Order: sequence, then C-alpha cells, then structure tokens
Amino acid sequence: MIRWFFRGVSQRRLTTRYPRGPEPAPEGFRARALLEPGAVSGERARELAAVCLPGALAVDEHGALTLEDTRCIGCGLCAGELAMDRGYELARRGRGGAALPLPFRHSLHIRHVDTGSDGAVEQEIAALLNPYYDMHRLGLFFTASPRHADALLVTGPVTAPMEPALRRAYEAMPEPRVVIAAGTDACSGGIWTGPEVRGGVDRVLAVDVYIPGDPPSPIALLHGLLLAAGRVAEAAPASAGRERPMLAAAARGGAG
Amino acid sequence: MIELQERAVSSAALAAELEGIGGRLMMLFAHELPDGGRELCAIVRAAGGAVRVRAPLGGGSYPAVTARVPAAHWFEREIHDLWGVVPEGHPRPEPLVRHGPEQREVTLPTDGDARGEHRGAERLSGPGVFVFPYGPIRSGVFEAAQFLVQTGGEDVAYCAQRLYFKRRGAERRICEVPLELAVLVAERVSGTSSVAHALAFSHALEALSGTEVPERARAIRRILAELERLYNHLEVTVRECEDASLTVAQAQFAALKERLHRLAGAVVGNRFLRGAVVPGGVRLDLDGAASGLIGDTLREWEADYRRTLAVLLRTDSFLDRLVSAGPLSERDALDFACVGPVARGSGIDLDTRRDFPYDGYGPFAVARHADGDAMARMEVRFQEIDTSLELIRQARGSLAPGPLRNPLRALAGDGALGAAESARGETLYWLEPDGPDRLRFCKLRAASFVNYGIFNRVFDSQVLTDFAFIEHSLGLSPAGCDA
Repeated sequence: MIRWFFRGVSQRRLTTRYPRGPEPAPEGFRARALLEPGAVSGERARELAAVCLPGALAVDEHGALTLEDTRCIGCGLCAGELAMDRGYELARRGRGGAALPLPFRHSLHIRHVDTGSDGAVEQEIAALLNPYYDMHRLGLFFTASPRHADALLVTGPVTAPMEPALRRAYEAMPEPRVVIAAGTDACSGGIWTGPEVRGGVDRVLAVDVYIPGDPPSPIALLHGLLLAAGRVAEAAPASAGRERPMLAAAARGGAG
Repeated sequence: MIELQERAVSSAALAAELEGIGGRLMMLFAHELPDGGRELCAIVRAAGGAVRVRAPLGGGSYPAVTARVPAAHWFEREIHDLWGVVPEGHPRPEPLVRHGPEQREVTLPTDGDARGEHRGAERLSGPGVFVFPYGPIRSGVFEAAQFLVQTGGEDVAYCAQRLYFKRRGAERRICEVPLELAVLVAERVSGTSSVAHALAFSHALEALSGTEVPERARAIRRILAELERLYNHLEVTVRECEDASLTVAQAQFAALKERLHRLAGAVVGNRFLRGAVVPGGVRLDLDGAASGLIGDTLREWEADYRRTLAVLLRTDSFLDRLVSAGPLSERDALDFACVGPVARGSGIDLDTRRDFPYDGYGPFAVARHADGDAMARMEVRFQEIDTSLELIRQARGSLAPGPLRNPLRALAGDGALGAAESARGETLYWLEPDGPDRLRFCKLRAASFVNYGIFNRVFDSQVLTDFAFIEHSLGLSPAGCDA
C-alpha cells in the first residue's frame, strides 16, 4: 500500500477549478451546432435539415432554418455552414424555466438510472469521480437507493422495459426531488424513434434540468448538476456571432 | 472484404451441417427474402474465411441448432422472439429480446439438457436459499441489465442474466435512415465502441459497393480504433480497482483514461471518437499537428501508465481477488463461440484484425492467456494495450498524403458481412441492399451478445463477493448486446 501512497502524492494537482474558474475546451470540440435565427433559409436550409439525423435542424413555415439544440448530436455534418459550439455550460432548466422546487445548496445526492443509453454517458458520469473533476469536492454524491436521493439522473431515450423501472425509482424518492435528463437521447430521444423508445425522459416524468450532449462531457454534466442544485445560473444562450461566455454567473456556494 | 463460401441446406439439416463444418458460429438469424419467403442464415468461421449456410424456412418451426451447436442458444431465442419461428427442442425456449409481463417475475429458468445453455448448473433448495433480482437499476452508475442470483448467503448457486432492457431498434433504424447517415446510428449502438461499430458497418457497405478505402484513411482508421481500445481496456482496469477498494489505483487509472478521452476530444472533436469514420474512408483528417499531439501525448501517457501498472501488478489485494475468479474453460469458450479478451483469456487464438484483415492491419502477435480466470482476461488486456500503442506508432508512420475518402459506389449483390475487432471482441454487421442506395436488412452482432451468453457459466461455484470482479473482467456492453 505504501507504493500507492507514493504514487498518489508524486503527482501534481489535476482537479479543475470549475466552477470557480473556467475549464477550457479543446479547439474543434463539437458540443453542438450554433445557429443565428433566420441566418439560413431557402434551398440551403432544406439541404441542411435533410442531413440532420436527429431532426435538430428543421425548416419553419417561413423557409428559415431552426435549431432545437436538445436534439443535436454534434455530428458536425452541418459544420460547413453552421458554427459548432465547443462550450460546456449547455444545461438548462425545464418546466418552462420555472424555479426549481428547492435549492440543494450544500449537497446533492444523485441516483442514476439508465433507460437505454449507448453506454458512453455512463462512463462520462463515472468520470466525475476521477481526479480531474472530483465531484465530491462540490458536495455531489451518488447514492445506491432512490430513497436517499435528491436528484434522479436519467440517461437514455426511455425504452419500453425501462419505463416502469424509471417510474418506480422516481416514486421511491422523497420530496423535494429533481429530475435531470443527461445526454441528447434522454433530453429528446436523439436519433432514436420507433416503438422501442418513448423518445425522451420528459415523455414519462417532468424534467427539471436538461443536459444535452452526445455524450455530454463530464464538465457539462458538472454544470448541469450544479444547476440542479441551484448553485450556478443557466448560461446565456450561445450564438454563432459571439464567443460563449465561459462562466455565465459566478458560482455560489459549494465547498470549492 | 470477407469472402463467404455459400452452402444451402434444408432447415431440418441445418444443425447437422453446422456441426459438420465445426467452425465458430459467428451469426445465426432469420430474414425475409425479396420474394417474401423466409430463410435462416448462419455464418460460420472456416479455414481461410467463413461459410454462409442458408436454409429456407417453410413452416413455423425447425429443429433447434442449439442441441448440436451450443453457441446458437441466444441466436435461436432471438429468432423465436423476433419471427415467431419455433426452434423445436431448444433447451430454454424462453423470451430473450421480448419483455413481457412474465419477465417481471422472479423465477429461475428451467434446466436445459446436457449440451444446452445451463449445463452443470447446481441447484440448491432448502431453508435460507433465495433468489434475488439484481437490476435493472443497480447500485452505482451502471447500464441497465438484470441478474437473477440464487444464493444461500455467500455461494452463488446459480446466476441467470436478463438483458434487452435497452433495445432501441438499431437494426431497423439503420435501414430506415438515409444511407449516408446510417453510420451515425452504428456509432451509437455501443457508444464506447463507436469506432469499431462504424468500421464493421462501413466494411459491409464497402464490400457491397466495391468501394476502395484510400491508404491515408486506412491509417487514420487504425489509429482511432486502437485509441478506442486503449480507453476501453482502461475502463475495465478502473472498474476492477474500484471493486478491490484500491482508491488510489482507481483514481490513477481513471486519470489515465481521462487523458485519452481528452486526446480524442482534441483530435476528433468528440471524446468517444464519433464522427470520424464513414463508409469509403474517414470524414476528418489527422494532420501533422494532430498526429504529433497523439504521439506526444501517448509517449508521456505510456510512461505514466507503465509506472502505475507496475505498482498494480505488485498489489496482492488486487491479485488475490482476480486470480482464479470467474473461470471460463477453453471448452466453454469454444462451445459458446466467445470472442475478444474473454476468449483469448481462455486460450482461444482469435482476433478479427488478424483473421479477417482490414484497413491495412499488418501481422502482430495476438495476446493470449491459458488460465481462463479474471486475471487472465486482465493480462490479455494489458498485453493488448502494448500492442495498440505499437500499432498506433506504425500507423502514424504510414500517414502518407492522399485522399481521405472515396465516394460510395452503388450497392449491389445480395448481402455482405463487415467485421471489426472492438475492445470487447469481434463486431459483425450483415447488410442486404435494396437498390443502389438503400438497405433492406441489417443484422448486427456485437461482441457482448455472445460473451453475455456465458455469464451464468463463469459463476459456477463462485462467491457473491466476487460478483463485481467477475462481471467487470468480462468487460461487457449491455447497449451493444441489446442494440
């Protein structure tokens, strides 16, 4: 064991300062597409909508291209025309933007439920425990039982066999509780449609926080969890014209 | 491109034919022919390639292949569920894919015959013996899967796996979306093996259309595929360290894994390497700067990895838990057609990269271990990490200037098989075209589909406290199995 002690202390600090400071994302990272309203229309709009597999891009009644960012998988097939957002403060509130039931300022206990994800988002969630993100420093914990959970972190588009399991986990939770949809397929169904899937967590439960991304990076998940805890604010909507502000609001609370 | 020898038999003679060929059963599925008839189609490994055996399905049943070829067990249950065709004499004709109300009950499956799925399972009875359903929501952050564990307290008397909580209909989706977008679906079948699934799918399409992949694209594909193998093998290592309560080791390997995902995010724009592989080549270039970044990062990474691994392999509390845990005999690995590190850890000599060479893989030593326990599977993975680092070095050296992709030509022929070796093992796509630019039928078989089939077997006479070690040593993907 002494070898592990020396192995551990021989390394420099790896942990991000987020949410106290920004966490740079690599150049060229494709978190999601960005679209100025009305920037693309006509024939080009129809072509771009045709290559958008999850249907995030669509053409409205005026012939202008629209973007539903909780459907975007960041494939980059529209990247020749549209800018790609490499930011990570992508999470936003559900229920029409209403206030969350109650802020969990000091700690948040999370129960994860997989309802048909592709398996990558589970690894990104597990990565929150690695030294780079170390979510315990922020008072965020996973819990085995939904009876001890404040937040339900749901991944996947909700397959038919998982719907009853998801409902039971939710019903077992004490009030107040928040539901977080993590990943594009949990937010909207993503690329999955058909009889096998319900097409997003909000078809089954009211969702308080959406964290889009395919899969959302650990830092995007961290932002979403802190948003659910009422400890950071929603980021201002990003647009293609200006650089996304790295930190929309100063972090409040947290053990940082 | 995989050349298939063709054979045709009656469905009554299929079992004898497959037993006669004797090679590893790669796929077995039912499908509808363009003329409306149905047939069974089996693909079997044979010397120098593979054989496709076709058997027309006249009625609603046929004699089960499983009785003679145990590896067919899940394939036939799947055929039963999806097509309503009854494999007569199957030892366990229960639903596999379908989740009906009967699936919610906690009852153990009935016994199969000697060569069937549940050979050798010991059953206990008496006071204190109980069955508990573990999953589909389990303690920790795990994918949805369920295990029915019968125990008297410590010894696992019996364990049955229940999958298909995550079925999203990927095979149907691949056929219904526009052909040029279908690779995006394949990438998301098993999101941690995106490159391998995209490659296997692309190989099948390239075979159907006779499209050549440019030299530079082949080298890029190899680099991405090996990078994917590195972080998947590390994921297994992280999980095993977590199970052994080695928190420093867990943190160290998790940090090593994170560095690979950051590298992936920097060179491809996605931490799981999505959006790079397309039929006909690759969509993104690895320019000099990206290739240099990969080289520099991996050089530093390798040094840290070796130092950390050296400590792990001298940690008794880790070795004690893995050595002799979850044994899989060579006989079972062969009988149930296991693939990947699970098969190689039981001494089976197979690797898609060598057996069905693709994308310019040259000869390399296939890692193997004879012990068949959880530690053997880990040792195979550690050897494969060395091989992957070497293959990435070679591929970076062969990044000659040239085009990145060739346009996909018109699809022709009645079907083609695409294969790639994911970190979990052989990944297969069988595709049938409908005209020059549409797919009529897709059957995919992830490595985890076959490796999950032996899950109950490796728990023979094991203890409950080793459950996590054994499960994680198999490195399975429920998402890939369920599709």
